[in-house]
Parts: sequence; C-alpha cells; structure tokens
Amino acid sequence: MESFFVRYRNLLVLLAILLAQIIGLAMQVRHTDSGRNTLDPQDAAGVRLLRLWADMVVTPPERAFHASRLGVAGLWQNYIDLRHTREQNQDLQKTIDRLRLEQASLLEDAKQGERLQALMDFQQKYIYKTQAAQAIGTSGSDSSRVFYIDKGADYKLERDMAVITPDGIVGKVRDVFPHSAQVLAINDQTSGAGVILMTTRIRGILRGNAAGRPQIVGILKDERIQPGEKVLTAGGDLIFPRGLPVGVVEKVVMDPDRDGFIDVIVASAAHLNRLDEVLVITSTEPRFPAEQQQDMATSEMLKGGQAAAIAEAIKEQKKASEVMAERLPGLTDPNAPAQAPAAAAAPGSARPGQSATPAAVVPPPAPKLLHAQHPDRFTPGAGLPQGVPAPAPATQEKKPTPKAALKPESKTGLKPESKTGLKPVSKPETKSVQKTNPPPVHTEGKTQP
Amino acid sequence: MSLLGADYRRDMGVHSYPVLVYALTTLAALVLQAWLPRLLLGYTWFDLPLVVTVYFALARRNPIQGTLMGAGMGLFEDALTHHAIGANGIAKTVAGFLAGSMGVRIDVENHTIRMMVTFVLSLLSSVIYFSIYHVLLGLNLEWNWVTELMKAVVNSLIAMVLFPLLDRTQIRD
Repeated sequence: MESFFVRYRNLLVLLAILLAQIIGLAMQVRHTDSGRNTLDPQDAAGVRLLRLWADMVVTPPERAFHASRLGVAGLWQNYIDLRHTREQNQDLQKTIDRLRLEQASLLEDAKQGERLQALMDFQQKYIYKTQAAQAIGTSGSDSSRVFYIDKGADYKLERDMAVITPDGIVGKVRDVFPHSAQVLAINDQTSGAGVILMTTRIRGILRGNAAGRPQIVGILKDERIQPGEKVLTAGGDLIFPRGLPVGVVEKVVMDPDRDGFIDVIVASAAHLNRLDEVLVITSTEPRFPAEQQQDMATSEMLKGGQAAAIAEAIKEQKKASEVMAERLPGLTDPNAPAQAPAAAAAPGSARPGQSATPAAVVPPPAPKLLHAQHPDRFTPGAGLPQGVPAPAPATQEKKPTPKAALKPESKTGLKPESKTGLKPVSKPETKSVQKTNPPPVHTEGKTQP
Repeated sequence: MSLLGADYRRDMGVHSYPVLVYALTTLAALVLQAWLPRLLLGYTWFDLPLVVTVYFALARRNPIQGTLMGAGMGLFEDALTHHAIGANGIAKTVAGFLAGSMGVRIDVENHTIRMMVTFVLSLLSSVIYFSIYHVLLGLNLEWNWVTELMKAVVNSLIAMVLFPLLDRTQIRD
C-alpha cells in the first residue's frame, strides 16, 4: 500500500489538487431557471476572500509602478541599452539621463495636468456627483475585461456604480476593496448596458464580443442602422444615467446564432485600452453649481412672492364680489320701503324708476344694465340717430350707479355695516356721488354734460 | 531502465534557486501580468505566470512542485478576474504537472526544446481553460483561436529571453 502511494505520488497529488479546484468551481456556478448555467454574480465569502488577498498582493506594487512608471521605464531602458556606454561616458551620461528623465517627467506631468484639468472641468460641469480615480491595473486576461482603480471603499465607492470619462461610458464597478475597486468594462462579454441609437431610436443591450469590441446584440435586422450613427445610454439599466455617449456605430454584422438578428459593432467613445483617469458616478442626485442653486432659490422666492400676491388679489376680488353682492340691491333703489318685497313679487307692480327688492322665493331678475359714466354711440340706447332725443337723464340721475356707489368705499375700505349687510348705503352719500359724476351724453362727437 | 535513466538525469540536473528568486519571480510575474496590459493598449497576448511555472517545473524536474506552483499561479490569476476561481488554476496545474514530468525525460538545458514546450503547454492551457468553461461549467465564453495561437507564440518568445536570465540565478555548487 505504501509503495502504491510512493509510486503514484505525483499523480495522486495532481488528482487531489484538480479535484479540489473542480469542487470549488462547482460551488461557484449556479443553475438558472432557464436551464443555463451562470456564475454567481455575488461572490461567496470564501471567493471574495481569495479575491481580496489577490488584490492586496497585486495592488501595492501596481500602485508603486503607476506612481513611478517613468522611473521604472527609464531604469529598464538604461539598463538594457546603456549599460556599456555608461561605463565609458559616465559623467556625461548621468547628466543626459537626469535631464532626459526630468524632461520626460515634466512632459508627462504636463500631459497629466492637462488631462486632469479636462477631467475636473467635466466633473464640475457634470450634473451628477462623481469621484475621480486612476486606472492602476488590469485582470491580465483578455477574456476578462476588468481593470482596477485606485479608489475603493475609503472613497465611498459601491458596487454597480457607473464609471465614465468625459468621452463616454467605460464600465461599472464590479467589486469594491478597501483601497481599490474592480471595474467591469463595457467591452467584456459579461457586461451589459442599455443603449439607444440616437437617430433611429432603436434600443439594445451593449456587451463585448470575443475580440473585446463592444457590440449591441439582439436587434432585429433594420436597414436604417448606418455606420456613424451615435449610440447613447438609454438609462433603463439603473446604472448609467440616460444620454451619456457610448460611441458610434462602426458596422453591422449578421448575428451568427440567430437568423433575422444583427449585431451592431460600436466604436467606443472612451478609449477603453488606454484609460488613465476615470470618473465614478457616486450619486445620481442632480447636483447644480452654486450659481445655479442661487438662481433657483431666487426663482423659488419670486414664485412664493407671486403666489402670495395672487392669493392676496384673489382674496381682495372675493371680498369685493361679496361687497358687490351686498350692494346689488342698491342698483334698484336703496330707498325702497321694507314692505316692497310683497309688491315686487308681482310682476309690473314696481313703480317706474324703482326696482323691487327680489324676494327669496322669486328667481333672480335679469341683470339690469347699468348706465355708463361716459356713454358713446356704442352704448346701448345711446347710439341713436341724430334728431332722436337721448334717454331722459332725469330717471337715470335718481339711480345710483354701482361704480359710483362702490368706488369711494373700495378705496377707503368697507365699513363693518356694509360687510354684514345690516346697513344699506346712506342716501346722502349716494346723492353726493351722483352730483359729482353726472352722466354725460354724446351727440355727434360732442360731449354734453 | 528508463526510470533509472530519468532518476539519473534528475539527480544530475536538478537546479535549485534562492528562495528570494522564487518569491520575487512569481510575484513579479503576477503583478506584471496585471499591470503590463495597461502599457500595451490592452493586448494581453502573453501569460507570464504560465511561463514562470513552466520554467521552474522544468528546472526543478519535479511534477509535484510544478503542480503546486501551477495551481497557485492559476488561482491567483483567477482571483484577479471576475470569472470563477479555479479555471485557470486547473489549466496551469496540468501545465505545471506536464512540464515537471517532461523535465525528467528531456534535456531542459536546450533553449529550443524549452521554447517548444512553452508553446505547446500554452496552447494546452488555453484549450483546457475554455474546455472547463464550455464543458465542465456549461458557460458561454467566446474565444478566438488566433489570439490563443498568438499568445502561445509570444509566450515562447518571452521564454526565450526570460529562461536564460533566470538560469543565471541558479545556485551553483
């Protein structure tokens, strides 16, 4: 027995390790209701721990590499190319190397400054809250289009946050570590983003193909889709805000798996293979600059003031209409005796020049025309032909015009009696108004008092 | 008889390295595999962990060591992706085991043979990787055989440069 284990030790070790890994794989795959297998989108605790360890091992060197990329590159180049010449021209070469490094470093700093400036400009103008981050590493596999950024949970990054650049969308945060995060690019086969073609308004799902090119899948064959058409995010995936640029249609190919369907190859707007700085959308709550916020606050205040003024005006109008309702009996004859309602109930019983007070049971009489203060030829009853006598002003003078009756009080405010309707307008007051405003009569363009 | 011959060659040709070389080489391979694609515009037509695994498995002529190193490297690579952990591990485990097994039967000092072994094991590793996805897991993962072929060629070229450099770190009696 012992000789068996010794003799087949190598194979047994191989089988044991393979078996352990196969079991581990089986625990990560889930069988869906649709009959297909899929990877568990949320890693198990053990798997996540492995990823965290790998990230902890790889990220610090990557960060160091990224910070001193030029230095490492220069050292490598100098070691390979200039090892022998440096011995011969040591002093001169040191000076040249130092100057070259400084120049390249300054140039790179300047380029990086320009990029960061553009990024900051975009970040400040962008309506959503974003967090700038730098891409520091990749998965190292062309079948897994993910990359790592130097911001993680310490910057409040969360899973499924959108990652963009000023040029277009890049991907989404797939996993967050304490000081870094893993971003799934849009050209990965397992990614998915809702997109819409800008001109034809055709919607689809964007994902990567085997060559790492983003493509829109599941679209019925449509002649209208032409190369060059812009592709935007549709906003339906709850990850990417609507209207962000994705790219342009590069070409349309037939779906090899399904007849009648096409795949739209998209040239990504963001340079997915040369990402340096990216923005992570940390909040989709609209964020406005201070100036716009001040304008909005002012607008709100003005709106509030206008609303208050309108409410005040409505209140005044209501009050005036109430007063007018109280005053309407005055249109007929404020001097009518109190027993008049019984007589007024019978039609034609009212005396000429006096209007009867409407009884409560009698339907309200037809509105009576008021005499205009300045009648012209369009005024009913005033536009008579020449020679025809104008209506007798004597009867009109006895009737107080509502305007004349209301005008002084609307300016000075209502008395308590008027509000309650307990006391009618006094007769002398009405008369004085009539005297001051006698109705004029128009004849052939001349106004006669 | 052949076993005796293999033992003889193994006893005569097993190379050993400082622990620091093991640690730094494997770590560098993993870190560079994750970092270099950024400089190469996303082209990942190389697999440094596989090259390092093949080198040490061939040099040590020990299948168990090759198996363990391949498993570790592959699992680490899987952990950096968003795919299932284990697919790369299995592929590189097999590659490491085969490299270690071949090391006792071939002349590992010959650069051409080592390049060819690297080329074949790269292709085999890719085939195993995609087979695991398609057959074992039943997942849909597209692949391009041209890319895998290019990766095998680039791995062989890297091996041609890297192996002599690593040979210089051997502990010599």
